[in-house]
Amino acid sequence: MMNINLKSQKSPFQKLDGRSKLVALAVIFTLVLLFSHWAYILGLLVLVMLIWWVARLPFNMIRDLFKFFLVIAVVILVVQIFFYPGTTNLFRISNPIRVIGFSGYITLEGILFGIAMVLRLVVIMIVAPLLVMTTPLPDLMLALVKLKVPYRFAFIMTTALSLLPSIQNHAAIIQQAQLCRGITYDGAGKFFAKLRASVALMVPLILGTFRDSQTLEIAMSSRAFGAPIKRTFLLESHFGVADYLILVFAILLLVGGIYLRARGFGAY
Amino acid sequence: MTIPEQQPVQPAPQPAPRTYKARGRFFGMPIATLAIWASLYIASSAIPALPIPGMAGMITVNAIMTAISGMILGPAAAIANAAGGIVSMILFPYGFSAGPLGFLTVTLGGLVAGLLFANKWIPAAILELLIIGSWFINPQTWQTGMWMVPLPYTAIALLVIVIKPLRDWVRRSILTQHKVWMWPAVFLMCTVGHAAEFMTTNTMVNWMFHLSWQYWVPTLPYWIMIDTVVILASTIVGVGVLNGLKKARLPQFSDSLEK
Amino acid sequence: MAEENVLLCEQLSHIYANGVQALANINLSISQGEYVAFVGQNGSGKTTLVKHFNGLLKPTQGKVLVFGESTQDKKVSYLSRRVGYVFQNPDDMLFCSSVGEEIAYGPRMLGFDQGEIDTRVQKILTELDLESQREIHPFALSLGDRQRLAVACALSLDPQVFVFDEPTTGQDYFGGKSIMMLIDQLHAKGKTIIIISHDMPLVAEHAKRVVVLNKGQIALDGTPETVFSYTEKLRQLSLRSPQVTLLAQELGLRDRTLLRVPQIVQWLEAEYLPSPKRIQGGQV
Repeated sequence: MMNINLKSQKSPFQKLDGRSKLVALAVIFTLVLLFSHWAYILGLLVLVMLIWWVARLPFNMIRDLFKFFLVIAVVILVVQIFFYPGTTNLFRISNPIRVIGFSGYITLEGILFGIAMVLRLVVIMIVAPLLVMTTPLPDLMLALVKLKVPYRFAFIMTTALSLLPSIQNHAAIIQQAQLCRGITYDGAGKFFAKLRASVALMVPLILGTFRDSQTLEIAMSSRAFGAPIKRTFLLESHFGVADYLILVFAILLLVGGIYLRARGFGAY
Repeated sequence: MTIPEQQPVQPAPQPAPRTYKARGRFFGMPIATLAIWASLYIASSAIPALPIPGMAGMITVNAIMTAISGMILGPAAAIANAAGGIVSMILFPYGFSAGPLGFLTVTLGGLVAGLLFANKWIPAAILELLIIGSWFINPQTWQTGMWMVPLPYTAIALLVIVIKPLRDWVRRSILTQHKVWMWPAVFLMCTVGHAAEFMTTNTMVNWMFHLSWQYWVPTLPYWIMIDTVVILASTIVGVGVLNGLKKARLPQFSDSLEK
Repeated sequence: MAEENVLLCEQLSHIYANGVQALANINLSISQGEYVAFVGQNGSGKTTLVKHFNGLLKPTQGKVLVFGESTQDKKVSYLSRRVGYVFQNPDDMLFCSSVGEEIAYGPRMLGFDQGEIDTRVQKILTELDLESQREIHPFALSLGDRQRLAVACALSLDPQVFVFDEPTTGQDYFGGKSIMMLIDQLHAKGKTIIIISHDMPLVAEHAKRVVVLNKGQIALDGTPETVFSYTEKLRQLSLRSPQVTLLAQELGLRDRTLLRVPQIVQWLEAEYLPSPKRIQGGQV
């Protein structure tokens, strides 16, 4: 699980409005999918790393995240290096193997495209945590509501998050109860034992929490949830100068990116 | 001390039929229930079920949650899954290989199965066709053997949606909680939910990383195995939860279908 | 080591991962056939302590011996055949589709053969009066019956020691009474019983030994009569002796501690009414 207790740290990035951060990161995400040239993607990665640094997030978090994606990163790299239809042959490693579509050569394009795809994976992977680690959840929800996400949807998200500790606690108790009934969770590599254990966990967990949902519903109704009035918020967000700058920068980046791409740059 | 006599168990009185009003609900499901589901979804994203090498860092229990959500929440499952998916993608990103768009996959998983369960089969079929179609828009999928990728479960899901007798039988067996037929019916329903999820993931991953047929075709048997396991596990959980909800008289989508 | 010690804690301490010290240097031994109640205010460490008895928690310092074996390197599934644990909320334990399946689950997990499983399930169903509900879904049972079923699940592994965490919470009078009768029956069969409860009259009535915990340490340990005589000390720990005990104290009884209504009636009759029959006669 990732540590999200970084809200107390103050950095220029933390102080931005949730909306401008959301837009900026959405632009980066779009651009990284738009370009497929390694240099352009590397540029975006540097930009994201720079924000990561400005936001004073720990870099070892990127490493921890990457561990989960290491296998797929290797798979992507290998598939592209061997099978990308490149033209600049670097070295020959075998005869052509037609049945798997391998030309027998490792190509420069294959290596560069493989690198580009792995870099893209890294950017995609770290762009969302960047937003959440630096934005307290109420601010994020407010940003979503201000961006016209229906309030009821934002409410579901915030409520879900605030219920999470009690559900995880409940899950831990159920797991203990199951242990007392003879289930073993720690049979190393025992695939079906693990599966059975998660089934035995999910049924009582879902049913137990559904019981609680009735209480929550009453609590919501008794506090007039869904009354047809215009909502006001305790927290108010303010768009500052920095926010406008970020927004302008993001839009310029997006427009510039689309222009470059339309002119044929940044593709492979 | 005298020992109190055990009172004979009285059957509980039948609850008044539920009447659903629009306010505080999405598609007939109370918002509180959707929030609870979203929270369960987030919690389940933290439980690794199958730490396997592959597209996602690992398959977590949330795959089971997606597959069964449509039967329990109806079309509103899309909303609960989306809310849970967005938050869990951020907190536990290793269960999502499609990055920030990963929540779309679980949304579609809930939506297609939910629509089918609500007997709105036309939108379900359209969505399913869109999911399959978007796989083939990418020129990369015109390579050798790539047409096979959507076949195993997505095609079955499409058949369940469009063949009327099959669709009706699946829905009826689940709604009446038939002791035997409920199992294959729930299996097919989980297939619909899970297939919509993983096929969307496949399409997105393919667009993002341009993996060629040399990746997709040889790994296909492996994915069929993984998906079968997920669907089987979902079936067991799904039957358990549906039975339990009915026995404990807890809210579920099928309440709003009963006349 | 004495053989009759089924449970032995030696300088047991437990510090949770978040740094909270839940138990500090507990020394405790429980013998075969005892009926022990753990009481204390919330957060005093009761649940943490009893979770050490079947290995759900492992000591961070000191050790816990169950039938002479240290729990440190034992799995819960192994220890659950010696120490059964019934959770406060029965719903946390139940997930099968019928009462019979639910009882058979534990023995099946531990690899018993089918004949043995059937015999056990049948015996338990009869014992706990759940026979007629064998095919029923656990969630269709009343809370009291679900609690009995949770006990049945623990019973199916045939442990010598039973731990009950708040067995009567949420139950009405009859439900609570029936579960306590069940526990008393188990005790009468020679099982060692450990309960956690906030209900002092219940503790006074059923337990043969009371252990009061406070801030992770044992504050008092003795028979109910002894423990509940420390009215003032208990009050400092936010606990209250049963009202019967307090009444007797208010009425001036100093040399003994009374726990039950019949006791106080007996005492009052003996003290103030030399011949109670006469009064009865007078009333007629």
